[in-house]
Amino acid sequence: MAQFHNLKVTDIHRTIRDAVVLTLEPDDRTAFDFIQGQYLTFRREFDGEELRRSYSICSGRAEDKLQVGIKRVEGGAFSTWANEELKVGETLEAMAPMGGFHTPLDPGAEKQYLGFAGGSGITPVLSIIKTTLEVEPKSTFTLVYANKGVATIMFREELEDLKNQYLGRLSVIHVLEQDAQEIDLFTGMVTEEKCAQLFRTWVDVESIDTAFICGPEPMMLGIAKALRDHGLDDAQIKFELFASAQPGRLPKKAVSQEAGKTANQAEVAITLDGSTQTISAAKDITVLDAARANQMDAPYACKAGVCSTCRCRVIEGEVEMVANHALEDYEVEKGYVLSCQSYPVTDRVVVDYDQ
Amino acid sequence: MDDMSIQDYLEQGGKLTSPANVPPRYRAELMKLMATFVDSELAGAAGFADTINNGPGIKERIAAAKIVLEKTDNADKVLKLMGEFGVDQARYANHHPWTARLERAADIGATRSAHDMRLAVFNYPLEGWGDAVVMNLLMGHAADVQMQDFKRVSYQPLAEAFRLIAPIEQRHAELAEEGMVRLMAEDQGAALQASIDYWWPRVAASFGSGEGNRYEALRAMGLRHRPNAEIRAAWEERAESVLQGLGLTAPT
Repeated sequence: MAQFHNLKVTDIHRTIRDAVVLTLEPDDRTAFDFIQGQYLTFRREFDGEELRRSYSICSGRAEDKLQVGIKRVEGGAFSTWANEELKVGETLEAMAPMGGFHTPLDPGAEKQYLGFAGGSGITPVLSIIKTTLEVEPKSTFTLVYANKGVATIMFREELEDLKNQYLGRLSVIHVLEQDAQEIDLFTGMVTEEKCAQLFRTWVDVESIDTAFICGPEPMMLGIAKALRDHGLDDAQIKFELFASAQPGRLPKKAVSQEAGKTANQAEVAITLDGSTQTISAAKDITVLDAARANQMDAPYACKAGVCSTCRCRVIEGEVEMVANHALEDYEVEKGYVLSCQSYPVTDRVVVDYDQ
Repeated sequence: MDDMSIQDYLEQGGKLTSPANVPPRYRAELMKLMATFVDSELAGAAGFADTINNGPGIKERIAAAKIVLEKTDNADKVLKLMGEFGVDQARYANHHPWTARLERAADIGATRSAHDMRLAVFNYPLEGWGDAVVMNLLMGHAADVQMQDFKRVSYQPLAEAFRLIAPIEQRHAELAEEGMVRLMAEDQGAALQASIDYWWPRVAASFGSGEGNRYEALRAMGLRHRPNAEIRAAWEERAESVLQGLGLTAPT
């Protein structure tokens, strides 16, 4: 189960107008012995509701410090708070580093790496670049870094410094959506076509051992397609989908108008794959079994309250969950239940598998 | 950057990379897929463990023990990923008696038992060494054919786990084939053929039958890439030629 640790904020560095790099000192240093490219999941309460957000580590393994980059997202509670209110000396809570956006390093290896980053997608890629160039002295790294304009390039100076530090082993191609550059090719979006053009002259794609891509969805698709078209197989392409897709705050659970608990039958409204079916079910039958008995293909696997495949959210009414070995307290507070373990308590219950 | 829905992204072959970016229905189908794999590996390993002592020689017993070890390890690789979604791994590994089997003559088609998600074929008991080798050969090739799809699954951490698992499972099928060669040399062809006739339809049923909407939904999520019938046909073709090479035949 998820375990959270305390981390003290020892430094806050603003890299661009709306992004900060936090330096963190964990209470438990061994738990935060990260691998390059991993991320931390933070939790914090906003207006009484717990939010969890993942941010990638941007420091290299050899740097002996733990840093994450957080770019402010429009309407994002956590990122706005981190950018505007968080102060040095405060304590954050995070789980130990997670994620598989990395390949094993070998000091004797002589490899050619290619990285693509879009906006704040640079954070894990920066960690990978720093660590790889340090650990594999014979390897080289080419970074294609997409941004709106010069002003939004996170880590611009840091990348310049790395180029000087590892002379000839790191090349950076900035592709800017809005700002014109000397070379036309470097203006616009990093699309499949743009990649194909880059591969013709600027990047020797045939020599690439591994490619890393971190950015928003359309960019990932375009680049992956271009890489495959140029002979890379799936095992050579590492993805990290950027946190833009994280779910937002959920609306509060509706309080049932008639919290009646009298009948033995309950009226259960179940939403699955966009359609809602209202059924009458005995209160000694689980929500999952009631749904399946009515030809709804509700998901489940273990039926023992262990795996959480059958998770759904109670929108209205009350159910009793008799066993729960999978959902955490914060999920339960949001109204999530394991439908294989949940029996209707109120006479009317509304659940949703799509939330 | 322009906005794109996760649905469109997946439909176009996009990969998801952590529990934080999977939508709810995707999460449920992904968990089902992982549970099916974990339960099948655990049940398969548990059933095969009893067979180790039946191995006619030390090489066979080593091979059988290796298969049990590695299938358990493969289950662990995927169970770890389920753990990242909140699953209590220790409890999961023990929530069902994995050695439990039905009667040899039970006919359950493609349905699963009420308590776990193992493929139906893992509910039938093995009868002796030769029978276990046959089951392992047929199911090993079935797993290998299935793995070609699994390696492309849209949840990147799982695709990577399957890329590690695929060559191991492939080796298990090869070990079974080596076992068959020895048994054929010992003139056990008739007994092996009887086992093939028993296991063939049961392994075939494990691919599932017609699916329609469900396949379409899973395909759109990038969790499936070929319909059941197509995967089964690929297995049939492969298994038939392996049996032929051994001097045995696939039931028609």
